[in-house]
Amino acid sequence: MPVNLRPWIVPALLAGVVIFLLVGSIESALFAQQTVSGLANGGIYASLGLALVLIYRATQVINFAQGAIATFTTYVAWQFMQWGLGYWGAFVVTLFVAFAGGIAIQLVAIRPVERRGNVLTVVIASIGVLIAVEGAVGWIWGPEIRFMPSAFPVRTYHVGGVAFSLQDLGTIGVSIASVVVLWALFQFTKLGLAMRAAALRPNAARLVGVRVSWMLSLGWGLAAVLGAIAGMMAAASPSVLLQPNMMDGVLIYAFAAAVLGGLESPAGAVIGGLAIGAMLNLLSSYVSWVTPQLLLPAAFVVMLIVLLVKPSGLFGRTRVKRV
Amino acid sequence: MIKRARLTLVALAALAVVVASAAVAATAAGTPGVSAKSITIGGTFPLTGPAQLYSVIPKAEAAYFAYVNAHGGVNGRKINFKYYDDAYNPAQTVPLTHKLVEQDHVFADYGSLGTAPTLATRDYLNKAKVPQVLVATGDSYWGAQYKKYPWTIGFQPDYPGESRIYGQFIASKVPQAKIGVLMQDDAYGENYYNGLVKGLGAAKDKIVDVEKYDATQTDVSSQVVKLKASGANVFALFALPTQTITALVVATKVGWHPTTFINNVSASPLFMGLAQQSGANVQGDISATYVYDVWNNPSTATSKLYKSIIAKYDAGANPLDANVLYGVASAWTMVQALKNAGSPPTRAGLMKALTSMNQVNPFLFPGIKMKTSSTERFPIDQQSLEQYKGTGWQPFGRLFSKAR
Amino acid sequence: MKAVALKLQWFELGLIAAAAIVVAVMPFVLSNYNRSQGATVAVFVIAILGLNVVTGYTGQISIGHGAFMAIGGYTTAILTHNHGWNDIATLPMALVIGFGAGVIVGLPALRFHGAYLALLTFALALAVPQIAKNYSNFTGGTEGLALPTHSGLWLYGLAWATAAVIFVLTWLLLRGRTGRAFRAVRDSEIAAASSGIGLALHKTFAFGVSAAFASVAGSIYVLINNFVNPDVFGLTLSLYILIGAVVGGLGSLWGVVVGAAFVQLLPIGLTSSNAVSSEAVPVVFGAIVIFVMAVMPQGSAVILGGLAGLPNRIRRSHSSYQPPRMEAR
Repeated sequence: MPVNLRPWIVPALLAGVVIFLLVGSIESALFAQQTVSGLANGGIYASLGLALVLIYRATQVINFAQGAIATFTTYVAWQFMQWGLGYWGAFVVTLFVAFAGGIAIQLVAIRPVERRGNVLTVVIASIGVLIAVEGAVGWIWGPEIRFMPSAFPVRTYHVGGVAFSLQDLGTIGVSIASVVVLWALFQFTKLGLAMRAAALRPNAARLVGVRVSWMLSLGWGLAAVLGAIAGMMAAASPSVLLQPNMMDGVLIYAFAAAVLGGLESPAGAVIGGLAIGAMLNLLSSYVSWVTPQLLLPAAFVVMLIVLLVKPSGLFGRTRVKRV
Repeated sequence: MIKRARLTLVALAALAVVVASAAVAATAAGTPGVSAKSITIGGTFPLTGPAQLYSVIPKAEAAYFAYVNAHGGVNGRKINFKYYDDAYNPAQTVPLTHKLVEQDHVFADYGSLGTAPTLATRDYLNKAKVPQVLVATGDSYWGAQYKKYPWTIGFQPDYPGESRIYGQFIASKVPQAKIGVLMQDDAYGENYYNGLVKGLGAAKDKIVDVEKYDATQTDVSSQVVKLKASGANVFALFALPTQTITALVVATKVGWHPTTFINNVSASPLFMGLAQQSGANVQGDISATYVYDVWNNPSTATSKLYKSIIAKYDAGANPLDANVLYGVASAWTMVQALKNAGSPPTRAGLMKALTSMNQVNPFLFPGIKMKTSSTERFPIDQQSLEQYKGTGWQPFGRLFSKAR
Repeated sequence: MKAVALKLQWFELGLIAAAAIVVAVMPFVLSNYNRSQGATVAVFVIAILGLNVVTGYTGQISIGHGAFMAIGGYTTAILTHNHGWNDIATLPMALVIGFGAGVIVGLPALRFHGAYLALLTFALALAVPQIAKNYSNFTGGTEGLALPTHSGLWLYGLAWATAAVIFVLTWLLLRGRTGRAFRAVRDSEIAAASSGIGLALHKTFAFGVSAAFASVAGSIYVLINNFVNPDVFGLTLSLYILIGAVVGGLGSLWGVVVGAAFVQLLPIGLTSSNAVSSEAVPVVFGAIVIFVMAVMPQGSAVILGGLAGLPNRIRRSHSSYQPPRMEAR
């Protein structure tokens, strides 16, 4: 009986990558340090990538405004802290604001377009939201770089010549925790099931009594919450900082994370994000022809190769084409 | 039928009026932008987009002009400063500059920000003989290529001149130096790097590692980690503000404590404060300065005047932002030049005034003299070193001059 | 029945003639500055025509057409600046190189649909300026290349003459067998393939043509601004081409000028007027984009058709227009 190897390709690939990183890190402290700080950045890409995946699953739309919305909500958190709220107080309030804001954007900007338009007009509307929200941040809060406190201690620990901070671990931990919560939502709750049904088979869902339009709004609200978490993690990281354009450099890698993971898989987005973070750092330190300018094109080429081999991403399910 | 004919006639008449008035507007004035009551100048700045950090500069400049206007203007003429947002995109700078010249009829293009935007409009403005003055970029082109571009002049000290000071300082004061450089991988970073090498002279082999980053990339942790591994004990940072803060924080985080040199553009006390808040140890870091030290001298007449101008005409701006102070110092220079450009001022007169300066700008570091001639076209050519102690910069040592 | 069809054609011809007269008369009324603005509108007309071929007619989404404009722009800049070519002589070269680039991108694009293609082309828009920045020996890096300046009249004439040629080319291409094949591919790939249309050939060819047009647009863009550096071809440019194409109306050629004027004149008009503060301009522009999408999701082509009281044909082609799907497949 022939053994089907296909299901084992991706796990084997991942195991290979993990072994490569571990062996490299044991061999060289520099390699280990590059990997660790790369993974820390990857945690940020993963968090925003998750928000993209959620909205894609819930509404079948790529939200180009996700980064801008995350930036806006991070400024909201900063503003609450300026007004005297403590970190966790501001954090929780911001999540509620983000939830309401995400729903509001869906109601004001997306739903009227969706009703009469098509997927492409919705994409244009999301680009409109991107332009408007990013502009609003600069308009309201000004161009200055601000200080955003971290949820986790910034104290660093040294293990065998490798420095890492609880902040790095915290960022990665938060993105993994978000995945678990999301997975549980979609897998075990009626709400999650209804959301998936609304996105994939709106008419059928309507027939069984799902309020489809409300589910889509809910998707935007939840994605905004995830975006807010990603924004607050990113702004506290020294490699992003709180400023109006802070997500410009993150969004593209968050997209890459989501695509690598298969666009519909939360776990895929997190693994994709971490992989991209580590890959960027290692490419720029060990591959000499990858100059700083060519880093993004090189990451693009790697992504393209992976997708040419697996067109629906590492964890995407291949769907049967419909005529 | 008659109704339609009448409509056509009215439309034609309206068109004729528009064309005629446009023709009149173009021929009436002697010098564009100058009337009996006002002088109109304009510039392009990144008010939105990735470089919007600098949007405080034109606002501070406008504030100083408003202050001058409130005190009688320039020889009885009020300054009218028009500035447009080019988002740091030359494809925006070019049409907006055409608009300033052809539609708004500005007397001069003043203070426009950025190397590429200035390069993109330099040919056009020089061909049209429109002064392109006190541009806000530290490239050395503006002072060096005056023969080909006589209508263009810069303001601040040039980048290679600044880093040359660091080189000289390291060569003479840090004998055991092993230098690691983090630079932006473009002309900006290269300018600084070349100046450093020149300043080091024979000691240039003390550079043990050079790491580069791209301007679109904010994370420089990988480069800092490599610099640490190279064994460098001196860190020369030629970066933009965001990457500078990141580099300072990451260096401390990975346990690297070199003697750090930070280029002036990124050394604003605001950025240093942010780096400290984010966990960087910046004590003892070194930079160079040429603006008045309002931070250590809050109650001198100059500081009080400066703060009152900002409070009154640019409410909401932070007077402790070095970019705001930069704007006021630049605007002061422009006002002096306009005063000396003749009455009514002419474009040739403005260039003459800017290329025969010999004056002390109260908003610059004490002792600096702005001195230019027809062949010496760098308005600010002196700088002081400063060291970070406690929560602020402390200037030290002599003034370095003729830095090139 | 025959009479009606003839009448429609007369109406269309009249519309084109009227537009041509307006375009031809404009430069003699406009100021030099507004002439170069008008020329830039023509640049977007060309780029949007290009995007329309690939997205509107074969249903392949591209968010990265700024990348192809960059290729044409740098072709022109390098040939004139480093090799002393005549400006206009570089345009055919940009067309050819653009076509090649389009085919190179179009081949892997065959493997991707919807959201994946959208995101890959989005990444392409960010990657190409980085490559230009890297090879600064040829491209001048961030400091760019400065080119000779031209009068507004010359630029206006060149830009609109090229736009007219490209418009006619597009029309000829799309009205015949190729156009029918493109639309068949868009509406159902499997149905098209089963009726003997070469999928890979048509899709790749469409990508090539589309990129070639965008490349020519990039050339003229660079001539108008007489300057090129990577910032010129930033993400905003790609987004504006897409916005212009959708506002104009995908799958139809009528709204192209409206879409082009929308993305070129509106933002710069807002920026340089005193109606809103500069910082508020993106907020206002973004809101207008959303509003336009809400009130005329099919773009201006339908509205224009409605105003003229005619092209049932156009409307019909719209009702059959299937938007490219975003689903992962």
